[in-house]
Amino acid sequence: MPENGGFMVAAYVVAAVIYLSYSLVLLRKGRAAR
Amino acid sequence: MTPAERAQRTLRRTAPWIAVSLLLMAAVYVRALAFTPPEAAQGLAQKIFYVHVPSAWVAFLAFGIVGSVSLAYLVRKDPRLDLLAAAAAEVGMVFTTVVLVTGPIWGKPVWGTWWTWDARLTLTLFLWFVVLAYLVLRGAVQEPERRARYAAVLGILGSLLVPFIYVSVYLFRTVHPMPVVLRAGGPTLPGSMRVTLFFSLAVFTLFFAVLLRYRFALARLAEARARAAAERADA
Repeated sequence: MPENGGFMVAAYVVAAVIYLSYSLVLLRKGRAAR
Repeated sequence: MTPAERAQRTLRRTAPWIAVSLLLMAAVYVRALAFTPPEAAQGLAQKIFYVHVPSAWVAFLAFGIVGSVSLAYLVRKDPRLDLLAAAAAEVGMVFTTVVLVTGPIWGKPVWGTWWTWDARLTLTLFLWFVVLAYLVLRGAVQEPERRARYAAVLGILGSLLVPFIYVSVYLFRTVHPMPVVLRAGGPTLPGSMRVTLFFSLAVFTLFFAVLLRYRFALARLAEARARAAAERADA
């Protein structure tokens, strides 16, 4: 089996950062609007 | 209850669901990383599948909504449909960005290259640019009715790319793999991998629905306040 776990970790981290950042931006906008 | 109060109530009620969706997404990560076997030929990099494919599914869903809701707007001229299309486009853009980032990270170890101008990859990048143009257009046109009409046309045209992206692996010679679940002759994906994929698809769909509801409520709140301010200025 090829050793390529680093790519998997990178993809998972990048996806988590993008989703988490967008969620936080939306929540912050929502709190400011309320 | 005024439209602004209704939108505020939706924001209050939906916010905890964003946290729930993120926790479920963490559960998808745990399931994919610790409880799903690695694929024999591709190794651990194949696990990018459980993030990449559900993100692509949600992107398709989002732009399907943009297209159909934009069409409904042109027929019915209901401004809520315009706001819903805009919300779906913005949230869909986030998922498409994840598809376009995780794809190359998977491609490098498996295909030996970060990017290739293959039909599916190229069309997905086009879709990303069309949605970017859609969002820029919305920001550039001030008059709400005209903005909604222009955006609806672009939204419909952009969403027409979605079926092409889906069938591109059948129509063209491409390095991108064929579907392994939604295919004639039944799924080829082994059981435990299929369970993880379906779990991930369900969680990503919930996450999308929650973000869409929240983003739509934010837009409705802004619109209600703008309308109230305009009415006060007229009085």
